[in-house]
Amino acid sequence: MAKSQPFTVACNGGLIKSVNSIDLLKTPGAAKILENFEVSVEGGYRRINGYAKLGTTSATQPAGSTVNIVGVFPYADGVVACASTNIYFSLDGITWLQINRSSVGTNENYSTFNGRGTLTRANQAQCQFALFEGATYDYGLLVISDGVNEPFYFRMEGSGALSNRTYNAGEITVDGTNGVKYVTIHDKHLIAAGVIDNESTVYYSTLLDPTTFTGTGSGEVTISDKIVGIKSFRQDLFIFCENSIHKLQDINGTPSVVPVAENVGCLSGHSIQEIGGDIVFLAQDGIRTVAGTARIGDVELGTVSKNIQPIMVTIAQNIDDYIIDSVVIREKSQYRLYYSNVALGNSSQKGIIGTLRPDGFQWSETVGLEVTAVNSNFNTDGVEVYYHGDTNGYIYTHDTGYNFNGSNINAKYQTSDYDYGDLGTLKTMHYVKLSIAPEAAITPTLRVRYDYDTTTIPQPSDYELSIPAPSIFGSTTFGSANFGAGEQPLTRVALQGSGHSNSFRVFSDDTSASYIVNGFYIDFIPSGRR
Amino acid sequence: MATTYLDITNEVLRELNEVVLTSGNFSSAAGIQKFVKDSINKALFDIANEEPQLPFFSAGVSGGTDPFYGNVTVPTTAGTRWYLLKSNSSSITTDYASIDWDDFYLTTINVSGASAPYVSEGLRYITLDDWKTHLRDQENADDADTQVYGEPKYVFKSPDSRKFGLSPIPDKVYNVHFYAFTVPTELSAYGDAIALPDQYANVITSRARYYVWQFKESPQQAAFALEEFKRGMKFMKSNLINPTPKYISDDRTYF
Repeated sequence: MAKSQPFTVACNGGLIKSVNSIDLLKTPGAAKILENFEVSVEGGYRRINGYAKLGTTSATQPAGSTVNIVGVFPYADGVVACASTNIYFSLDGITWLQINRSSVGTNENYSTFNGRGTLTRANQAQCQFALFEGATYDYGLLVISDGVNEPFYFRMEGSGALSNRTYNAGEITVDGTNGVKYVTIHDKHLIAAGVIDNESTVYYSTLLDPTTFTGTGSGEVTISDKIVGIKSFRQDLFIFCENSIHKLQDINGTPSVVPVAENVGCLSGHSIQEIGGDIVFLAQDGIRTVAGTARIGDVELGTVSKNIQPIMVTIAQNIDDYIIDSVVIREKSQYRLYYSNVALGNSSQKGIIGTLRPDGFQWSETVGLEVTAVNSNFNTDGVEVYYHGDTNGYIYTHDTGYNFNGSNINAKYQTSDYDYGDLGTLKTMHYVKLSIAPEAAITPTLRVRYDYDTTTIPQPSDYELSIPAPSIFGSTTFGSANFGAGEQPLTRVALQGSGHSNSFRVFSDDTSASYIVNGFYIDFIPSGRR
Repeated sequence: MATTYLDITNEVLRELNEVVLTSGNFSSAAGIQKFVKDSINKALFDIANEEPQLPFFSAGVSGGTDPFYGNVTVPTTAGTRWYLLKSNSSSITTDYASIDWDDFYLTTINVSGASAPYVSEGLRYITLDDWKTHLRDQENADDADTQVYGEPKYVFKSPDSRKFGLSPIPDKVYNVHFYAFTVPTELSAYGDAIALPDQYANVITSRARYYVWQFKESPQQAAFALEEFKRGMKFMKSNLINPTPKYISDDRTYF
């Protein structure tokens, strides 16, 4: 009898959709399916966290009804949400304070502010936020643009109960009464772009005064393309247009616009994020970076989503059907882009997660996570928090817990097919040892499929796994943890079947804890070349 | 309950660490599963070929035409020498697999119209050569002339093995009783029961594994399986064919 042979695979490479099945044989660590998993910064594939209503069981909808959340931003010790024709602030997701008030004076107290009339944000669309820190502000001045109305600013001072705080709010006139789509802060200026009727013009505010566009230091520049997004990066302001990219230099000296690319454009300004020393954005051909180079003033453009090119093509082809939004989760070195089609059900909503690893971005997908608005910021404790909203009209704490607001997380990780070095040899599987690091007790399922899941041979039944919670010395409570459960257990599963190649799928559809699939050790027996 | 084709196929598949079949996908099995199915039938035929007179290959229940031994009865016709061993068989592929030539019995008992004293005696087997050398010429001459015929004393096998001949050519109707063994029916449907008692199912599985290990290019495992098969056959034959005390018989009393 031929001796059994080992094969070890470390999960690395992320989702690969753009390589044919034979080419994938060379990359056993990559995934053919990686849904609701994320590439862990330490390596391996981790089932993603879930999300939970802000305010948990007492949560209320900011607008009081089921409407799309069109903007959300962590501000101060709470969150700002835009829905219907209003803008709201809440500390807890339970009680919401309407902040789009008219005729607000300077540092008005709560009762005065709350008694002001409503400054209706009619037809507000997807919002963008810019936070001007300000030298003396407690929480900064938040500017909100919605693409229809004039930008709105909100500044809150003080702490404790909302009734003990003071408020500043109002609209900012950029170009008459024209609405503004995109705002950002760049070098002590508020930048506004995507102004209705002037969509090729970038406006910048008075120096250190984001509420005025007519004072010293303010101005505007017009370029030759329609602007779809702006982003401050180092000393330059990058201007993303439909078919080109430019950068505005020396805004406080002699402003000038320098072309960066003439045949690469951006599909959505809400896709632009800064991560890992780069700006990433959604271009027609996928996710691209605008990387700073060693040479001052020089940049290079690169595509970082080639591995998931079919997904990117789908997004690009149907861009008008989607609400695009993105967020960077810094502690995980992750760029998340959600593309939600509100005409579809929650289970059909998708997104992509790019984790920045030493060798570049590695990708995975989210499924069943509807995001119409998402943002992150540091709270008053210096902790980064993430919130998102959806069509149900609630605000959710993003990337937390082990369920989708109480529902199961349906996670799937399928390996590429393994030929164990020779596609021509039949292999009889002996066993596999899965390296899975659970965060609590989990019961995922393992599925083995031979010969590219051919239907001409019977495939083995699924293997139900039961992996106990790890007991870590110093952190585990005596009497409540299972003694002997390892932090990184190797779970041995005896396998049945034979084939010339096979794949593994680890999946779960539950509210159990997350886990990281680190890799596989496979023992097989070569069984001839017929 | 007898072991079914599905049971024994899955037994081999489990021994080989392969995915088992179900009643739903049994008929459409492919690859190694199909090979195992085929190997089961090959093993069954191998057993029948090695020892065709195992009791479970019997063509019928012994003593079916009580009180006579045998499970097949062929009536003779006056003046006819040759008789098909299996009367309704159209070719050698459907004939009996094996005949106990040492135990043909001739009688008029139970023959319509016959009365005492009855003829009731064993037929001695002679080779075709002996018959041709010593008996054929005179019997053929009689057949062509007076057609006296006679009471058969000898039985012999036709060259094509499909018929038995009687010498002398029968002069009237007799019943010839003998014991026959059938070709095992090839297993086909998942619910088909194997002919062997469950106790000996491992003989089939070991032989099937012998083939599958060859398929998997593992001669050592195939050799182990072959050894197991031989051992199983030895015990099966010992238990089923020779369970009685050994003795030497002298059948010259037939003369």
